[in-house]
Amino acid sequence: MLMNKKIKINVQNLWFYYNDHPVLEDISLEIPQNTITAVTGPSGQGKSTFLMTLNRLWENIEGPRIKGRIEIRFTSNFQNIYDKRYNVSDLRRQVGMVFQVPNPLPMSIYNNIAFPLKLKGEKNKKLVTFRVEDALKRSFLWDEVKDRLNKDARALSGGQQQRLCIARALVLNPQVLLLDEPTSSLDDTSGRVIEDLLLELKKECTMILVSHYLDQVKRIADSGMVLSNRQMKQQW
Amino acid sequence: MKPDFSNRLFNYFSWGCSILLIGAVLTIISFLIANGYNVLSLHLIFDDTRPLDAIFLKTQVFDGLFPAIAGTVFLILLSILFAVPIGLATGIFLAEYCPPKIKRHFSLLFDILAGIPSIVVGLFGFCVTLFLHHYFYSRLFPCLLISAFSLAFLILPYIIRTTQISLETLPLSVRLTAPGLGATKLQNIFYVLLPSSLSGILSGIILSIGRCAEDTAVIMLTGAVASAGIPRSVFSSFEALPFYIYYISSQYSDNSELMKGYGACLILLFICITLFVLAHWIKKRLYQKILYQP
Repeated sequence: MLMNKKIKINVQNLWFYYNDHPVLEDISLEIPQNTITAVTGPSGQGKSTFLMTLNRLWENIEGPRIKGRIEIRFTSNFQNIYDKRYNVSDLRRQVGMVFQVPNPLPMSIYNNIAFPLKLKGEKNKKLVTFRVEDALKRSFLWDEVKDRLNKDARALSGGQQQRLCIARALVLNPQVLLLDEPTSSLDDTSGRVIEDLLLELKKECTMILVSHYLDQVKRIADSGMVLSNRQMKQQW
Repeated sequence: MKPDFSNRLFNYFSWGCSILLIGAVLTIISFLIANGYNVLSLHLIFDDTRPLDAIFLKTQVFDGLFPAIAGTVFLILLSILFAVPIGLATGIFLAEYCPPKIKRHFSLLFDILAGIPSIVVGLFGFCVTLFLHHYFYSRLFPCLLISAFSLAFLILPYIIRTTQISLETLPLSVRLTAPGLGATKLQNIFYVLLPSSLSGILSGIILSIGRCAEDTAVIMLTGAVASAGIPRSVFSSFEALPFYIYYISSQYSDNSELMKGYGACLILLFICITLFVLAHWIKKRLYQKILYQP
């Protein structure tokens, strides 16, 4: 079934070094559009690092170096994301990321969700309000927070904070969503809510999910990869 | 020695040190209050002048502390005004932009600057004044502006270092949040990193306020005099509380004059506390403005 889908992300011969010590070795893979691809494997093997190569976030850390080619098809053509002329802020607006530990900014709930729009320079307040509400609804959080949008986002529960972070990533309508163990700091019930949410988001996004939980991966992922000894292998 | 015993010993020792310190501070403050409380009155500040007349500069205060209070407040505010923007910018540069090799050298230089005795900074300010007086502007003498500049020099290392360290110690998760959402480096610094390290930066500024309020060596050489009245402009000499305290304690002629010195100490403490509270209030307002306004 997967074969019929269009390829969204194409990774070719990716090498990643941290202070000249290789973390990823010669990784090549293709990720189909509107699927959830799970990446599992022992901890400390560079799963998070792999995610960060897809939105170039590793460039904000001192020490690493990269070799290889990564292309993502945002329009009809593939775009080399490491092209010097390609704007990294544009890339990160198309490739959203959710971290292991929820990281709401010390702002109100509304401002957290509106923050990416502010960074983009969106001045139209009506549009911002609309997009914030839309993102909160798509991340199953609207009903819980609609009466307290101006309250500090850090006062929300862990599960709510993580859905807030997903909403914040969704507000720019990204085409790719990188999820770094998004449920590992949450209890089972909150984790399940997020799993349902991800299945729903498959309609609009291509997702790569780093996870420790094999049962979770089996429940929601379309394909699974294992990263160990610096190599990535297709599991199913 | 059993680990449990050494643990407890260290615990007691830490407690003892803290209590000793707090005790010392309380002793000093109560000593000041005991001695200065009786003289603390409007008369001490305004002498025989009506307070409103003095505040609105209708009548000059000759024998009260009002000119020294005004001089100290102006001096602190002016120094902070000079030092904060430069210190913040330098701290941001060191933490976010400076290549590691240059950073090592710069940090060493700022540490040396922090270690320069204030009398040397005062002397430097005095020499600069002489130089400017000789070659550029013969009407320039030691004055409020020169004092504030010299003091700014003295407190810059504190502000630079606290800004740099508060930025550098932010966890990676905070650092990566905004870039992950498409923020440029500058946006990340102004929208996330600086607001997140506001508390640390503020502690540097508070330390600086205290330093400006107490320093006598610098201002003695650069513009403070025993009697000058309210400074008419930044180019006039001025009175300051620490200088008054120093002067009165070394040259008092009777006990009542010495008591006025204690009164001045209390007022200086009060000014510092007021400025700390003001700084906290500004921080709170800034938080509200930056983070909560929709």
